[in-house]
Amino acid sequence: MLELVDLNKRFGDVVALAGAAFVVERGRILGFLGPNGAGKTTAMRVVFGLVRPDAGSVLWNGGPVGPAERLRFGYMPEERGLYPKMKVHDQLVHFSRLSGLSKTEANESVDHWLDVLGLAGRGDAKLDDLSHGNQQRAQLAAALAPNPELLILDEPFAGLDPIGVESLAATLRELASEGVTIVFSSHQLDLVEDVCQDVAIINEGRVVLSGRLDDIKNRSTKRRLTIDVDGGAWIPDSPGVEVVDGPGPAHCVVESDAPVADLLAAANAAGAVNRFVFEPPRLTDLFREAVGS
Amino acid sequence: MKPWSQVALLAKREFLERARSKPFLITMSLLTVAILAIGPVISMLSSGESEATKIGLAGEELPGIEQELYEQAVLFDMEIEVDRFSTRAEAETALTDGQVAVVLVDRTEIVFHTSGSSQVTGLIHNAVDTTLKTNALTELGLSDDEIALVVEPVPVEVTTLEEQNAQEEAKRGAAFVGAIFLYISIIMFGQFVAMGTVEEKQNRVVEVILSRVRPWQVLVGKVLGIGLLGLMQLIVFAGAAYVSAQFADLTDIDVAAIGLPVIASLLFWFILGYTFYAFLYAAVGSTVSRQEDLQGALMLPIALILPGYLLAIFAAEDPDALLPTVASLLPPWAPFVMPVRIAAGSAQPWEVVVAVVGTVLGAIALVWIGSRVYSGALLRTGGKTSLREAWKAAVE
Repeated sequence: MLELVDLNKRFGDVVALAGAAFVVERGRILGFLGPNGAGKTTAMRVVFGLVRPDAGSVLWNGGPVGPAERLRFGYMPEERGLYPKMKVHDQLVHFSRLSGLSKTEANESVDHWLDVLGLAGRGDAKLDDLSHGNQQRAQLAAALAPNPELLILDEPFAGLDPIGVESLAATLRELASEGVTIVFSSHQLDLVEDVCQDVAIINEGRVVLSGRLDDIKNRSTKRRLTIDVDGGAWIPDSPGVEVVDGPGPAHCVVESDAPVADLLAAANAAGAVNRFVFEPPRLTDLFREAVGS
Repeated sequence: MKPWSQVALLAKREFLERARSKPFLITMSLLTVAILAIGPVISMLSSGESEATKIGLAGEELPGIEQELYEQAVLFDMEIEVDRFSTRAEAETALTDGQVAVVLVDRTEIVFHTSGSSQVTGLIHNAVDTTLKTNALTELGLSDDEIALVVEPVPVEVTTLEEQNAQEEAKRGAAFVGAIFLYISIIMFGQFVAMGTVEEKQNRVVEVILSRVRPWQVLVGKVLGIGLLGLMQLIVFAGAAYVSAQFADLTDIDVAAIGLPVIASLLFWFILGYTFYAFLYAAVGSTVSRQEDLQGALMLPIALILPGYLLAIFAAEDPDALLPTVASLLPPWAPFVMPVRIAAGSAQPWEVVVAVVGTVLGAIALVWIGSRVYSGALLRTGGKTSLREAWKAAVE
């Protein structure tokens, strides 16, 4: 279990973290969300001791986090980087051994992950000679190869093609089912919604919303209403309806106690209703509400 | 996982990746070949020349002069060859062509090509003088023994108040060569350390590394790995130089005269000096994030090394002077100056202790400062970070 407790950090006049806190339990996947500059990367760096917080602490399984604990953590930093002139296999083994794996363990693990991530046969290539997407996979392998108990990934899906996204999502789910605790940040909210069970939304250095995604959705007073009426986009003309972007039909967010029957009747009056869905809010709706824009 | 096993892994990577890199292998091979070639080339160039001074004789013949010239040459500790020319003009042509170094015309004139040598003049003058006297005394009917009594030089013993100490010269020379080696090694491998530090920041691989190890481990690993590579290279060059020297007959370097203690002290100070400066280079490298900005930052270590080298020259001349004495106690210069003073026998034991302790503490302080700057500067990738900024960021 990873706990971030009341983290505070200032860089000169800039407040990066202002009491940020969340908890991820063992074997769960947490999506760490927030607008640019909200403090996601700083919070992740605090976990790895790369930034020393002014106040607050990080706990792993209830205890403080030191160098020994960090060796059981895997990290894919926002600043991507490996040795460009070094063979992929060699550097992954190097990083795995730095994390405490024996030579044999490191070699086996690296071979396994190169295979899983679709880089089998590229191990002897220099990083420089890989395509951008494959460099991204190699970076991911550097985080995964040491067989960490906690995986922290800063924007792991950025730069991957749809197939890469799919296979990474599957990999993360499988790792979580084996008991690995995973935290990842992303701006692709639909993706986060598909992959993670927990979310933490950070804004201006504070975690404004966190917990199990299902609970948060159920607790929310908002509902998403999707209506498809023949003859163009029809939008209910009543107070409390907020129109949001979405593909195809009209999407709006309404209060949970909105008069659904009346809305349906109004839609019927406007034309033949092909689709009328009243459901819990989507993650984008929660995110928009939480960061207030 | 022990911190030092991680340091060993980091050092191993530095060593292997650099040793395997093409530019390194090419430079190393070229330099080794060049060193190996110097000996044979020198021996080839010098083989055609005879060391003997050629003396030409022309004009009026003086009986017995040739033999006397050879006898005088022994006294003058010179090697000579004597050639006879039938005319003065012929002899002068030979002189112009460089076939002879000097010509004795008749018995009264010594002709050089451009400038004279007092040693050669003295030799010829003595030979002419002795020959004339011998001939005159023979005519007077004196026996050979009687003649010898008159013309043989009276043996004069030459002594000095202080015996010249060849051993001390050799030791001082070795210490001075050590300072030069240190200077070259620091410039070359310090650059490697600094470039390696910047490289990791430029490739942004630091964050991946520092999520596993602490900054001091990175710096120590880098300095150890590159240091071992430097040592290996020095050994290869020294071996090549030794082989090369065999060809050039330059083997009169007296290793025995230098002595094991001086060689051990040189090696010790070399390692200490290299370590001290390697950490300085690592700290300086931490302040920049692009190779283009590195040259400017490297002015600082060079501003310390250059005086160290000059002070070593000064110390070799006058090891007891105030300036070398003070410099030999201070960390940045002790590795250059102290070994010279130790070799010259002018360093007091307490001075050596102060210098060693000071340099070791200095190196530790540099690791500490360097680690702070490294971790503070690493997360800023925009251009150059001033030492103050990086320090502040690390303390924050």
